[in-house]
Amino acid sequence: MLSSVNILVGGAFHAAVLFLVACGLQIVFGVQKIVNLACGSFYAIGAYFGITALALAFQMHVPVFGYIPVLVGSGLLLAAFLGPVVERVLRFIYHRDEHFQLLLTFAFVLMFEDIIRIIWGASPRQTENIYQVFGEFHLASGMTIPAYNLIVIAVAIALSLVLGWFLQRTRFGKIVRATAENAAMCEALCIDVSRVYMVVFTLGVALGTTGGALVVPATAASLDMGVELIVDAFAVVVIGGLGSMPGALVGALIVGFVRAAAISIYPEFEVLAIYVLVIAVLILRPRGLLGKAI
Amino acid sequence: MSLAETTAAPATRNMAKFAYAVPVIGFALIAVFPYIAGPHYTILMFSAMGFAIALFGLNLLFGFTGLLPFGHAMFLAIGAYTAAYLTAAKYMSLELILLTAAAAAIVIAIPVGLLCIRYIKIYFGMLTLAFSMLLYSFLFKFYKITGGDEGLRIKMPTPSLFDLSKHDTITILTGPLYYYVFGLMLVLALIMWRIVDSPFGLGLRAIRENEQKAKYLGVNVQRYRLVAFVVAGVYGALGGVIVAIPVGLADPSLAYWVQSGNLVFMLLLGGYTNFFGPVLGAVLFIFFQDQLMSYTEYWRLTFGVLLAVIVIFFPNGLMAVIDRRRWWST
Amino acid sequence: MTLLQAIDVKRFYGVFCALDGVSLSIGEGEHVSIIGPNGAGKTTLVNVLTGLIPPSTGSVSFKGHDVGRMGPLRLSRLGMARSFQLVNIFPLLNVRETIAVAAISNLGQGGRIFASLRANKSVWENVERVAHLFGFTAKLEQPAKSLSQGDKKLLDVASAFALKPEIILLDEPTSGVSTAEKAKIMQVLVEAAKHTGIKAIIQVEHDMDIVFGYSSRIIAVHNGRILADGTPEAIRAQADVMTTVVGRL
Repeated sequence: MLSSVNILVGGAFHAAVLFLVACGLQIVFGVQKIVNLACGSFYAIGAYFGITALALAFQMHVPVFGYIPVLVGSGLLLAAFLGPVVERVLRFIYHRDEHFQLLLTFAFVLMFEDIIRIIWGASPRQTENIYQVFGEFHLASGMTIPAYNLIVIAVAIALSLVLGWFLQRTRFGKIVRATAENAAMCEALCIDVSRVYMVVFTLGVALGTTGGALVVPATAASLDMGVELIVDAFAVVVIGGLGSMPGALVGALIVGFVRAAAISIYPEFEVLAIYVLVIAVLILRPRGLLGKAI
Repeated sequence: MSLAETTAAPATRNMAKFAYAVPVIGFALIAVFPYIAGPHYTILMFSAMGFAIALFGLNLLFGFTGLLPFGHAMFLAIGAYTAAYLTAAKYMSLELILLTAAAAAIVIAIPVGLLCIRYIKIYFGMLTLAFSMLLYSFLFKFYKITGGDEGLRIKMPTPSLFDLSKHDTITILTGPLYYYVFGLMLVLALIMWRIVDSPFGLGLRAIRENEQKAKYLGVNVQRYRLVAFVVAGVYGALGGVIVAIPVGLADPSLAYWVQSGNLVFMLLLGGYTNFFGPVLGAVLFIFFQDQLMSYTEYWRLTFGVLLAVIVIFFPNGLMAVIDRRRWWST
Repeated sequence: MTLLQAIDVKRFYGVFCALDGVSLSIGEGEHVSIIGPNGAGKTTLVNVLTGLIPPSTGSVSFKGHDVGRMGPLRLSRLGMARSFQLVNIFPLLNVRETIAVAAISNLGQGGRIFASLRANKSVWENVERVAHLFGFTAKLEQPAKSLSQGDKKLLDVASAFALKPEIILLDEPTSGVSTAEKAKIMQVLVEAAKHTGIKAIIQVEHDMDIVFGYSSRIIAVHNGRILADGTPEAIRAQADVMTTVVGRL
């Protein structure tokens, strides 16, 4: 019983973060048709930057309830800087074969890993013991759920609602969706597609960096985390379907829970389970559960 | 390539002569390398030849058939672990190891290939990636069978014609075994040349250019792709055996996705439109990595920048800079 | 002898009916033009006849075999070839290589993985013959993507001919080509058909001069149905067909 609650909460937490990052992937793919292999790197760099930001907040005696905004803010700030820079480089190869686009994002993976090394060093970093500070919820049966997990889940839901509102309700959101459908047409209609691409890409980066930042109170930031995340994010996107936001949610939930279940029940198969799932989906339903037909 | 370039006859002819000279000079350099370079670099060249072999296969799949696998490194691992198991069981014959590695590659490539080639572009890449990472996690977790993250030792195999028992490892790697591998690389290169120059090779290119039209002209797309995948797998496994010998170890990182990325990087560096590209790419990458690692611990950053530069400005690789034609044009 | 037969073929896209009960049969020696206004269902008909899409109901058979589930590969083996309305080439292959792909299939040598293509006389003889028929002898080394629009279409047709099919379906082979070149292309087509032993030609065509000048039989399609099916003289005599499809009396 204890373990099922742990699995549920742990899985939901992992799913929440994965969902944020996967949304970033989906939006970039949906609009620009680029699979951003560097999403894991943005996640990692967001985590490290989050730790730095949090340490600073700690020093400035920011109260506890300010930590979440600090983390989210640091993620957004980082993205505002990184997004346009990386997008500008990617712009060189927009019209090329997609193999080259992928390879360019892979080049960024390599670069970012060393950039993290240079700035923060090779050993894992941790925040101060902030996780516990948020306290726990006590359930009827005497079990506790860390409050932080719930807060992150709530933040993820909030951010996705904001994103959804942005895409569906605002004028710019409509432009983004139109560009996803037919970029050439949009250009003919005098829409600055380059600017749309820049905003979309930065948005995708922001979702990654914020996801990473939110994770650091619970986990240490290490050089591996980007790579581990890519594996999971890629699984989410395949299972849910490339280019689909609801698919990202479904995929994130599945991967999050499978991971959590595997860790508790059969740790040996933790990673294997994900890959087998991915292969099964790619074979049986390559478009993913909610994706468009290939 | 513009019409102007094809009709510029005299310039092209001269360029063609020059272009043929590069592979010849290149192979000659590799042949005499043990005499002009020290043991450390010669052993590096040994590894480079192994990677070149694997890259010939990758080139068939990407350059010719238009399928880019993100998990090709899994075949390197298959080759290396085959060598480990056989030498551990005291089967030291290098020929046997190579043949077994090729057989293992075929056995694995056929089902994996059948599943993967149904899809193209990103989905093909992702599926091959998933398989290679599946292999990686299998190799990593089941340490009782695979040695886990420590890997399995590979003892020095013996090629049939030489008696290596009296020599130490370095002498073997820079001497008789080096030339054995050089010969092997030449033979495999020649076989690849024939494959590419055959009706089958033309069919692959047709598939790459326009899959649907190829079908209408009677090309069995799925079968051709599968054969290309299996051949690429065999070359990958053979390369894996060679690459693992100087290291003396088969470990899971050979199947990791970064290793697959390196393979693609090498191919792009050398150029996939030219026959000598794989060799050039492998040699440059291995030596550059070696030098870079001794100068700075931030070699990944350098490689990342280099890869970005190549992808943006020189997508056809270095050989394309030297020889503007695509070498397979009859 | 009937080569290609469609029996009560219907094809739906959701609720939209593209083909509404089409029946036809085409035999040896025929040069059939399929005409009709845009949206009439000509392309759908051609796609169903060439196995690209299966009919929703009804059947299409080629030499007695059901075409619906066959796919282009098996159909090419059976002896059916087609060219496409939109330019369909191998951009980076040159003219001789493009034709060679078909010649290799025709000679059944696709499985040869270790044999040198350069030295293969039979393939290149075939290629040169087809290239000569279509006027490509001077352009053999040119990459397909650098050809003119008309030449690209002609190459598509030439490579289909090189397959030495029994029946060939040409989807608007002269569209996108200047008027002067159209006649030239048609002459080439007819000559080539004689030389490569093709038994029947089916041509989707908009240019009425070509339709009436070259066909032995005209099938007029309108709203997914066959409006008329007969010789050029018979069609000319039907006023309603002439106004609907041809646009003039």
